[in-house]
Amino acid sequence: MLEPVNISLESLNLVTLMPMLIAIGGGLLILCIDLVKDNIHKSFYVALTVLILLIDLIATMGLTFGVTERGFFDVMLIDGIAVLSQVIIIVASMLFIPLALTSKRFHEYSYPEFFALFMFMIAGFQFMVSSDNLILIFVGLETASLSLYTLIAMHNRSNSFEAAVKYFTMGALAAAFFTMGSAVLYGVSGSLELNQIATGISDRLNEPGIMILLLGGAGLLLTAFAFKLSLFPFHTWAPDVYEGASAPLAGYMSVVPKVAAFVVSMRIFEMFINLQIEWVQTMIIVLSVITMTIANLMALVQEDVKRMLAYSSISHAGFVMVAIALATDKSNTAVFLYYTLFMFTNLGAFAMLWVSRHKSSVHHERFDHPYEKFSGMIKVMPMGAVIMALFMLSLAGVPPFSVFWGKIYLMSATVDAGYLWLAVVMGLNSAVAAYYYLKLIVYMFLKEPTDTVQQDITYYNVSKPLMVIVGFAVLLTVFSIFMVNPLIEYISMMLENSSFGI
Amino acid sequence: MDAILSILIFFPAIAGFVGFGIKQSSAKIYGIAIATIELLLALVLWMKFDNTNAGMQFTEQVSLISDFGISYNVGVDGISLFIVIMAALITLLGIILLRPDTKNMKNMIISLLFLEMTMVGVFLTLDAIIFYLFWELSLVPMLYIIGAWGGADRVYAAVKFFLYTFAGSLIMLVGLLSMAYLYHEANGVWSFALLDWYTLPLTENQQFWLFLSFFAGFAIKVPMFPFHTWLPWAHGQAPTIGSVILAAVLLKMGTYGFVRFSLPILPDASVTFTPFMMTLALIMVIYTAMIAFAQKDMKQVIAYSSVSHMGIIMLGVFAMNAEGLGGSVFLMLSHGIVSGALFMLVGVIYERTGTKIMDEFGGLAAVMPIYATVFGLMLMASVGLPLTIGFVGEFLVLVGFYAVSPIGTILAGTTIIIGSIYMLNLFKKSFFGPVRHEKNLALKDLDNRELSALIPLVLIVVWLGVYPKPVLGPIDNSAKYILTQMEARAISPATKEAIILSKKEAN
Repeated sequence: MLEPVNISLESLNLVTLMPMLIAIGGGLLILCIDLVKDNIHKSFYVALTVLILLIDLIATMGLTFGVTERGFFDVMLIDGIAVLSQVIIIVASMLFIPLALTSKRFHEYSYPEFFALFMFMIAGFQFMVSSDNLILIFVGLETASLSLYTLIAMHNRSNSFEAAVKYFTMGALAAAFFTMGSAVLYGVSGSLELNQIATGISDRLNEPGIMILLLGGAGLLLTAFAFKLSLFPFHTWAPDVYEGASAPLAGYMSVVPKVAAFVVSMRIFEMFINLQIEWVQTMIIVLSVITMTIANLMALVQEDVKRMLAYSSISHAGFVMVAIALATDKSNTAVFLYYTLFMFTNLGAFAMLWVSRHKSSVHHERFDHPYEKFSGMIKVMPMGAVIMALFMLSLAGVPPFSVFWGKIYLMSATVDAGYLWLAVVMGLNSAVAAYYYLKLIVYMFLKEPTDTVQQDITYYNVSKPLMVIVGFAVLLTVFSIFMVNPLIEYISMMLENSSFGI
Repeated sequence: MDAILSILIFFPAIAGFVGFGIKQSSAKIYGIAIATIELLLALVLWMKFDNTNAGMQFTEQVSLISDFGISYNVGVDGISLFIVIMAALITLLGIILLRPDTKNMKNMIISLLFLEMTMVGVFLTLDAIIFYLFWELSLVPMLYIIGAWGGADRVYAAVKFFLYTFAGSLIMLVGLLSMAYLYHEANGVWSFALLDWYTLPLTENQQFWLFLSFFAGFAIKVPMFPFHTWLPWAHGQAPTIGSVILAAVLLKMGTYGFVRFSLPILPDASVTFTPFMMTLALIMVIYTAMIAFAQKDMKQVIAYSSVSHMGIIMLGVFAMNAEGLGGSVFLMLSHGIVSGALFMLVGVIYERTGTKIMDEFGGLAAVMPIYATVFGLMLMASVGLPLTIGFVGEFLVLVGFYAVSPIGTILAGTTIIIGSIYMLNLFKKSFFGPVRHEKNLALKDLDNRELSALIPLVLIVVWLGVYPKPVLGPIDNSAKYILTQMEARAISPATKEAIILSKKEAN
């Protein structure tokens, strides 16, 4: 006979669950509304989603955080990076969801389930980043991923299904690696809490043969996150999935899941690195160097702008992965700074693709966004061309646009840690990357327009909300220099109040 | 006018933004007006400039990213003052020379105004990151100018220009970041301010690597042998205005970088690298002069001759004495004026005939006497004939360089001979002899538009050739100041000796 368990509500500290509950509640609310009334226009759902996310954001920012703030059987861990990354995730979601308000109808947005799934996905990411329990991280990861696969498939084209299935298969494999890695760590340390794992490992660090176990554990986990972060050699799914997904979702995928995965990587791998297990660091550095180089080389030969942007996101992820290997305060700050700044630019770039998205293939039989689509755009639509060029220059790391500041901060962190050669490699990679971003600028500014480059064809999908979002992205990209200091201050403050990597 | 430097930097950019609203047909006159105002502002700066003060003047500072030590920080000294004035002047004259029927005139004017902002910004800023910002940003309008208005291979040339410079400057960026790190290690705060960096002691080993990283950025821009291959492409494909600004101002960014960054921050490494730099510069001087002689295309002759003269500037910079350094800064100005004018002149004949091949011409002196006179004068200035602007700088550099290496000076001096050979050869082939094509007989001489762009340059060539003192004075002051700073900071006795030795001769 089991003893009845008595748990006081106080000890659960339910307030730590508040943000996720808001997101989940919002999702359920949307489903309930759908039960009551049919055929509500998507603008209603978009507005509702944004408003719920706003409440979520305020609730998140209102959380007290510190080293000891735990809740729900101590599996929740609300520390600085949990709050910080939740803020980034929610802000990114609030910026991406209004892209649903296109002037043309798209299949997925006519279903309220789309918005409900979107909310569940956010809740999943929020769980993922605010825990140091491997099981809860896993649950969060899977909740988010499963919702994301469905969202991709809802775009309702054959290559969207292909993308979703591809992503799903890869994601399932990654999940398997994650569980096996966790199992090994559990075997080594007898716990699933990262802080206890750390103590467990450090106690046994001198035992013979322990390194083989750790190699298994860290290796398997690294593989899992290499899938999620699309690091070489597990990056092959990314371009196809980005191509199959709708542009806003692709842009979303290049930021939010990666931020979440980076936070978890930070918690896991910086623990290993701080335990002085050096080969983890070496492994991550090698992975990141190969990732950025290979992705850059692949991006050079792409014929489709969206695929190019997919490879470019892979390369940016490889770039940021360096920060995980360095495991210093500055490099951790750089991760968040980089992704915050990258988010605005990438939002803009994908929104511009979305604006020009057609239902039929008017430009190219294989690709939606071939380079030719933007040929000579400066002559026909100077404003659009200049805006797109701004985003490309920003992605290439030309100052003073946003990504540049993330880039130099990260490179500076690399230099500080004594990895000068790595900083040079990162620099040279940025130079290679400049070529493919430049290729689009060359098409837009230096080529003659083709027949299909016309106002009403290229701006097929444009609507006021989209223009607002693009304008917002332009402002933040151009004037980012004034945001960098407050951002660094906020991020460092949050990081100081974090407990990870012991 | 306390904020005159900020006005100088940002006025063209703001005007460029406003320019989006100007009608295509009024774009050119708008450009002329803005560039004139900018030039007047630059001249006001010169009038208010204190010639006796060798340090930075009119400094402004606004903190941008305080946690990371990045601030907007500008200032002007004798070295940057005249380069800025020259940049403003060349931009104005370049805009005047634009053909009224240039396609997309508005876009051209807007890009030129943005380019002017970045050029002025590079020379006035005293913060390494803001310097880098303007440095990189200058590539963008130039990319567009070459790529949109250039010749048949324009896209290739434009992209090559961009990527080559971009790659080099990213390595330089790593150097800048390491420099900031070293400063942080020593002082506990982040700073990218050049004036702070000037006070930071560095070991020889650190200087060695930093010098190499700065070298990657600056040498590609100069362009030093063997990194010069992008330049003939860029010049060959660029429209006249592109070549003029590229040769006159953009290349100076590289040499200016050496003067502002490498020398004062890394005095020991600069001396250690002097033989290496001189070898490269000498190869550059002689080798490109020979290539220039082998060219058939008039514009390529001038392009290579321009590289060759950049080599002489580099010799002067690394001579480590006041004559050499001051002379090379003066030579930057005269090279800007003269090569700018020569590219304009080639553009003039290209507009009329559609070709730049020398063999196609012949006898132009009889058909276009004024054109031939201006061309001849600029050619003489380029070769370094006394009483022209080209002579002063070249002579000073060679004098300065003689103290370092007499044999090198003789080698470098041959460039004057080779230079006169290829230049006179160009002049002979194009301007004398029989007119080779009937249609060339009907060529018109310079019209008012072209004259108004060229006459100011002619006047400056003669004026500064005869009486260079008003310009040379402040330059010399600041050059000596830099050398004094270098000497004070040098850690190895050998460096101190290399610098002091020549300073004694200067007095």
